[in-house]
Amino acid sequence: MSSEVILVIVVGTALAFDFTNGFHDTANVVATSISTGAAPPQVAIGMAALLNFIGAFISIEVAATVANDVVDAAVITPTIVFAGLIGAIAWNLITWWFALPSSSSHALIGGVVGSAVAAAGLDAVLAEGLVGKVLIPAVVAPVVAFLVAGLGIGIAYRVTGRQRPGPVTRGFRYGQVVSGGLLALAHGTNDAQKTMGIITLALIANGSLGADADPPFWVIASAATAIALGTYSGGWRIIRTTGSRIIKMDAAQGFSAQGAGSAVILASTHFGFPLSTTHVINGGVMGAGAGKRVSAVRWGVAGNIFVAWLLTLPAAAAIGAVTYGLTRIFGTGALGPVLVTLAALALIVAIFVKRSRQGAPVPAS
Amino acid sequence: MLATIVHTDDLVKTVVASVVAGVGLTAVFSVAIWGGARFVDLSRGGRPLAAGAAATVGVLALIATLAAVVVGIAVMTSN
Repeated sequence: MSSEVILVIVVGTALAFDFTNGFHDTANVVATSISTGAAPPQVAIGMAALLNFIGAFISIEVAATVANDVVDAAVITPTIVFAGLIGAIAWNLITWWFALPSSSSHALIGGVVGSAVAAAGLDAVLAEGLVGKVLIPAVVAPVVAFLVAGLGIGIAYRVTGRQRPGPVTRGFRYGQVVSGGLLALAHGTNDAQKTMGIITLALIANGSLGADADPPFWVIASAATAIALGTYSGGWRIIRTTGSRIIKMDAAQGFSAQGAGSAVILASTHFGFPLSTTHVINGGVMGAGAGKRVSAVRWGVAGNIFVAWLLTLPAAAAIGAVTYGLTRIFGTGALGPVLVTLAALALIVAIFVKRSRQGAPVPAS
Repeated sequence: MLATIVHTDDLVKTVVASVVAGVGLTAVFSVAIWGGARFVDLSRGGRPLAAGAAATVGVLALIATLAAVVVGIAVMTSN
């Protein structure tokens, strides 16, 4: 009975994380379209939510990596997964508060790794999977997105540079409807799967699924729904950072950044790499800016984002480890997760009340 | 050992696919926009033959762009 209660809490927490992931990452998906005027905010966000939902059904490679290749499922318990999720959600809220587009994905993996190490030691971590499928691609992917976007915008300017700016800008704005949609689809394929993988890991740990099992349909459908609802709820504070503070973009740069991000995320999804979509998209945005003029990129803002990226894995891991320790104070039953969940809910409500009293953030114009 | 941990083969394929698809998409769509913009200018300049040629290039590039998107999604999400 106790394990079922913990499992229900884990599934609920994972879906809440998925919601915050969508909420947090709305900016990544729609900021370029909004900042270049390619789409009105509500249209861009509505389309992003729908395509995130569809994207979640397209592939399960990333879910398989998260469920089987990062931590040893044999030593994982639902409580460990729960503590990792709390670590990830807490870090997402902290970076949301400070309007930093850090990585929900690295927060999730960091949180689970941290709680797993706290519970079962370093042997709980599958180093090969963590390094080969998470850490190395985490470094490579944003660099590739940067280069692809920079190269792409260089070609775009060369091909269209002698034409009148009006039709060219209009053309790229139309193009951004497609590239923005593609980016939302790509985001859904990679990010929703991480939650599917975590729920699947919890189900395996609980004995509800066999080792190496694929996510059941209800897991896929619920993760898709949660990320779509989160995306629709949106995060205006971060849209400002991604869409206008890193560089002032034109429509061609927006198209190039979105095309680069989509290509990198979809290719990585194909091989089961659980990327940080945030890192990739911001890499594309910076590449599109640097491709036009290196000084066009506000490197100070980019530096703040980089620091947030560096902090994400260890910070989420630390919170995950502390959360696991807190739950164990109350024994191995459901009491610890229940109390931590109640405390987390109270904290989240307090944060949102304080934020709403400070007034809604102003969207990018 | 390091190559095994890093999954070099998959990583290289990911990088190559990303570069080809990402740069290719922007390049081909830029040609489509060039075709459209040239068509408008040449039509206004009273050069219908050249305008038709530019429009053809633009339309073909647009079709190639959309085809690349569809094929890209189909290939990258299939195993």
